[in-house]
Amino acid sequence: MQCKDFEALLEQDGLDPLPLAARSHLTECSACRNLFADLSVIVSSAREFPAEVDPPERLWVSLRAQMAAEGLIKQSAPASTEKAAWWQALPSLFRPRVLASAGGALALAFAAFLAVHKKPVNVANTNPPTPAVARVQTPAQPAAAQQPRSRAAIAPAPAPQMVAKRRSTPATSATPNFKPAPSADVYGGTLAGMQDPQNLAGTSVEADASLRENLRIINEVIAECQKHLKKHPNDALAREYLASAYQQKAQLVAAILDSGRSEQ
Amino acid sequence: MCASSAIAGTTLGGIRRIRSTSSAAIGQLARQRPTEPVAWTEAEAIRRAQAGDAAAFEHLFQLHSRRVYALCLRMVGNPADAEDLAQEAFLQLFRKIATFRGESAFSTWLHRMTVNVVLMRLRKKSLPTDSLEESLEPDSENSGPKRDVGAPDLRLSGAVDRVNLERSIEKLPPGYRTVFILHDVQGYEHNEIADIMGCSVGNSKSQLHKARTRLRELLQEEIREQARQERHAAKTQTGPSD
Repeated sequence: MQCKDFEALLEQDGLDPLPLAARSHLTECSACRNLFADLSVIVSSAREFPAEVDPPERLWVSLRAQMAAEGLIKQSAPASTEKAAWWQALPSLFRPRVLASAGGALALAFAAFLAVHKKPVNVANTNPPTPAVARVQTPAQPAAAQQPRSRAAIAPAPAPQMVAKRRSTPATSATPNFKPAPSADVYGGTLAGMQDPQNLAGTSVEADASLRENLRIINEVIAECQKHLKKHPNDALAREYLASAYQQKAQLVAAILDSGRSEQ
Repeated sequence: MCASSAIAGTTLGGIRRIRSTSSAAIGQLARQRPTEPVAWTEAEAIRRAQAGDAAAFEHLFQLHSRRVYALCLRMVGNPADAEDLAQEAFLQLFRKIATFRGESAFSTWLHRMTVNVVLMRLRKKSLPTDSLEESLEPDSENSGPKRDVGAPDLRLSGAVDRVNLERSIEKLPPGYRTVFILHDVQGYEHNEIADIMGCSVGNSKSQLHKARTRLRELLQEEIREQARQERHAAKTQTGPSD
């Protein structure tokens, strides 16, 4: 077997299994042996890449909005069979998702505000939120599987604009269900209508745990953004996300401190 | 993925996301979906989607979005473009779903659309160093890979790490890149790739072999470049003596 025959064999039949004649040629030809070894390394490395990657959730939201705008959807989606906690139902009031993210953050802060004012608490600590960021400790939370999580404070506010800029389809057709974020009065009314204020005060520990969980999550988001920016320092979108994440964290910390439940 | 999952956190396309269920924490590429309301077969979902059922569309999206997004991400190398391309691919699919008759597998049909969407985008970008058409032409003797006797050994130099390989994949011509990703990353067979790309099985095998040998050359160049930089750095550090 000649080298060109060996290469033709690789092209036709791939790397394995090699017939006897090809294996015999490899024992005699270092160039072909190196070629075969290098190609094997490349293929085995490529197979370690994940064949599937989770897309961002906004992909479906944006896609669905576009499909609705084009009239492709003729029936509404059935309601989820999962029984959601009351705070998980909040997002269903807002559309699209990118606006709900910003609205949810405000709802979370407002819920914390309501919790404070329903129950007299000596707030000894009146430090401003910004310098207190460093002092807030994120307690080690148990496995997230058992912890109902309020997602409202996590979403970065600038993300909607960045997403809208990246879309190749016209913004109007991509966001047919655009609604402005409700005002704070609407949030208050919504919360009052959904839950008894006394219960909210009674579940202040839950709200506190939820705030802490959100803080833990957003710290992870910040760490991921920073890690990504180290590799891709020119990624403007990542910078926007990071800036938003910092803003969200400041709001969360303010909510925690206002509730008087921060750990020093 | 219904409205209840609408509020989520920051994502960087395939890197992280916050999920609405408590079982998926940020940092994990969790496969569990927030809602699994139906247990349709794919055929049933297609039938319902052809009637305009939103839940059926979502079901099909859930079934195929990970592979489609992964393909787009590997092809274009950045999450923002990958997201746009994946959305465009699914939009085209759902616009034309009424015409699907089942002659080929649904996933093959979807991936064919995805590849077309991606290649069209790359063609529009008109990368000057890459020739899209030349890589899709049938074999010719002159287009074969060159032998580089005495080139750095990829195994010994450790050049084939994930970052170097990803960087090299991005430098491949789009046609080579597509076949390499479909076969060596996503695990499609040559008959499936031929169906997706509208070429022959022989052409698919040829493109794959050329892609692999071209990757080898790119990685060897990477090793040489790194060695050059290290030599330059060492020279700069020692500097002229007094």
